[in-house]
Amino acid sequence: MRETVQLFVTCIIDTLYPQIGKDIVEVLGRCGVRVELPAGQTCCGQPAYNAGMRDETLPIAKHTLKVFEKATGVVVVPSGSCAAMLRHGYLELFADDPEWRRRAESLAGRVFEFSEYLVDQLGVVDLGARFPGKITYHSSCHLLRDLGIDRQPRLLLSAVREAELVELPHADECCGFGGVFSVEHPEISSAMLQRKIENLESSEAPVVVACDAGCITNINGGLHRQQKTQRAVYIAEILARQ
Amino acid sequence: MPSQFRKRIQKSLDNPALQSALDHNAERRRNARVTANASLPEELNSLRQKAHALRARVISNLDQYLEQFTSQAEANGIQIHYARTAAEAVESVLQIARDSQAQLVAKSKTMVGEEIQINPALEAEGLQVVETDLGEYIVQLRGEPPAHIITPAVHLSRAEVGQTFQEKLGVAFTEDIPTLTAIARKVLRQVFLEADIGISGVNFGIAESGGLCLLTNEGNGRMVTTLPEVHIALMGIERLVPTYTDLALMLELLPRSATGQKLTVYTSLIRGPRQPDEEEGPRQRHLVLVDNGRSALRESNLAEILYCIRCGACLNACPIFREIGGHAYQGTSGEHTPYSGPIGSVLSPGLFGISEFGNLARASSLCGACKEACPVDIDLPKLLLRLRAEGARPGRVKKITQNSGMYDPLVPPALRLALRAFSWTASSPRLFSAAQRLAGILSRLVSPFSEDIKVPAFSGWGYARDLARPAVTPFHAQFGSIAQKISEKSPQLKEPEAETAHFATNHRELPGNLDPVERFEAELTTLGGEFMRCKPEQAAESIAELLQSLDIDVVQSWEKESLPAGIAERLSQADIQMRSDPDPGIRAGLTGALAGIAETGSLVLAGGPGRPMSASLLPELHIAVLRAKDICENLAQALSLSQLQAANCAVLISGPSRTADIEMTLTIGVHGPGRLVVYCLDE
Repeated sequence: MRETVQLFVTCIIDTLYPQIGKDIVEVLGRCGVRVELPAGQTCCGQPAYNAGMRDETLPIAKHTLKVFEKATGVVVVPSGSCAAMLRHGYLELFADDPEWRRRAESLAGRVFEFSEYLVDQLGVVDLGARFPGKITYHSSCHLLRDLGIDRQPRLLLSAVREAELVELPHADECCGFGGVFSVEHPEISSAMLQRKIENLESSEAPVVVACDAGCITNINGGLHRQQKTQRAVYIAEILARQ
Repeated sequence: MPSQFRKRIQKSLDNPALQSALDHNAERRRNARVTANASLPEELNSLRQKAHALRARVISNLDQYLEQFTSQAEANGIQIHYARTAAEAVESVLQIARDSQAQLVAKSKTMVGEEIQINPALEAEGLQVVETDLGEYIVQLRGEPPAHIITPAVHLSRAEVGQTFQEKLGVAFTEDIPTLTAIARKVLRQVFLEADIGISGVNFGIAESGGLCLLTNEGNGRMVTTLPEVHIALMGIERLVPTYTDLALMLELLPRSATGQKLTVYTSLIRGPRQPDEEEGPRQRHLVLVDNGRSALRESNLAEILYCIRCGACLNACPIFREIGGHAYQGTSGEHTPYSGPIGSVLSPGLFGISEFGNLARASSLCGACKEACPVDIDLPKLLLRLRAEGARPGRVKKITQNSGMYDPLVPPALRLALRAFSWTASSPRLFSAAQRLAGILSRLVSPFSEDIKVPAFSGWGYARDLARPAVTPFHAQFGSIAQKISEKSPQLKEPEAETAHFATNHRELPGNLDPVERFEAELTTLGGEFMRCKPEQAAESIAELLQSLDIDVVQSWEKESLPAGIAERLSQADIQMRSDPDPGIRAGLTGALAGIAETGSLVLAGGPGRPMSASLLPELHIAVLRAKDICENLAQALSLSQLQAANCAVLISGPSRTADIEMTLTIGVHGPGRLVVYCLDE
């Protein structure tokens, strides 16, 4: 065993995609990393924060901080936007509260997004994965711009055996999710999603990989409504396949 | 019930011509910006951080810099008018108009002018106001506001422009862009020559000299600040840089971010009105400093928005702007704002009120492309989130602006309820688990056979998407057994291997080993200018030949003493007359140059007695004589030249005049010269 990490599985994976959670634990296990799931974790608080409802965000954020203060060490977050919330969003949220801000800074210092943890912390690129066929990659906005993570997921995918990596045209353009934006401005959100789907079609890849379950839910929602065969998957789903 | 705002958005989404124009704008501008940034003398991010720190320092010490700036400007002879509100700004302008008994105003592009709505006010006083920037002229004819901070007619096709010209100017319909441009040039030339007042904006005020820096491509900015008797400059109080060195940094970044140019064709540096020994220039120069909510914004936690240098890069990077265009950025009840895109989504509520424009801060996916594109690294997503916080709880976040009173929360009621419920459960693990399981069960009732729920459209989500069905057993409830299984397998990986990068990384091209003159030539010719390197005697000969070949027998020229020796004599021999006063019939202008800039292929011209600026502006052909030894490496060096800083009016000229205001198609030769020939003398 190399080390033990705390997993913040995120509310979307916890609720909608337990299988992804399983894949994450499996992949980490393959690297010799033992995963603990701190009890009582719920959500990072992004939805309310994104909507501007900071009063409603505070109790969730404080709860999350308390949950993760119970153990030390690395906290792995399989979501660009949730990792960004913990690393940056909490500092803004608690800007006027020195005590909670200090606690938020302390947690932020040990938070890593999943692909970032594998590549930058463990130094692992090849997970022995195999996934025949074309795959392409969508750069989620918070992951790319808030956290500056892009090289890491691409490296991980490039080591997947029998996979043919193709570039997604305009990979760094927003898929249209944006949290509450998707329900407050469904017309614009759908127009942006339509572009992403058209770009996916022109890549000729049946699978698009992303590191944020919000994007995945959004893209699959559109693909499924249009009865397309392509699917969006979380990176661990590919890395877990052997 | 969709608001006016959402209806207006739908109108944009349903307009295929607009969609096509916006796509074209986004593609072209983004590629241009990325390519241009690769030519920066230093690494982009390092320059952005310097620029951010500089603007932060200015805004933090704005009172001090304004004090320095205004006292220097007044010493230069500029009359300063401080306007706390838009109404005060308008009144200042109207008073100047009344005092000068003006009838015709020629206007170059100014967003502050849009902000204070100066045109209707002048027209109500009985003056005629003509926009002279091609894009602004077009939208003025159409009775529309500009659709973009930099490119006002971005939303129009050439056919639409042709129709507008046919209807409003009575010319035959054409879609040919050079023809349309020529039509505008002809109409507007008269306006430049006859206008009583020129109104312009200001890109940067230079605190150390009290000078104004104006960036334009077409030449109209130079025209309206040179030809009329009265020049009124409108400037937001935040648009200062402390020194010429700081200006050089801004000039490295702004044009590249705005249009992908290293410099706009004309970078004007203006200190004061016509001096006693000068032959041209406005006798009065006024500067209206507009506050209109900027001071209040400085005191708030939105202050960072004041760092903006109005390049428009955020508009061009924004995926929402790309879908809806500038005109759709309205208040909830259709209120108008001149500022659209990401900058407008912060500035409009920040200056004009959150209750009216807070909706704009919610029409964003917070993707951060704006922040990434911003040459000053303004954290727009952070500011948008702060606006959302104020909008969700009016009056509570008092730091936003002083004029945010009470109003209904801007979060849609159903969403507010849902998020409150979510928040309540997410603070309690037991409630959260119960809610998850309930969702798992209920969703199976609604969608028993499919893992994707057909959510109804009214939910917003279901407008064009299905939704993954929640699991009956959330992950955390399964974790115990998952962890157990996995710990029974032993680790399988070998030692980590070396990194392999399969996706290309961007390498900056190293500059080639060109000497300054070669570099200057390469840059100038890329811009469409012509370059001849020769000995002084050859230059005189060549210039005479060029003019004779074009049947030109009179040039508007700098005085003999300001030109290299021998040229005046040779022209006289060829019976070519040299005149100093501007005459619209003269087809060629002849000037010297203080310096050249190798990095950008630019000429530096310092005006003054015997060196009329109009010689390099009015005629179609501009011939410039530059000494090879006067070519400096870069912009920063050029701006540090003492003769440049001391000149009453100076200009950096980077190629012949140009515009791409119609369908982003480049046309060379608008208001300023369409042909630039530089003779570079080896002495």
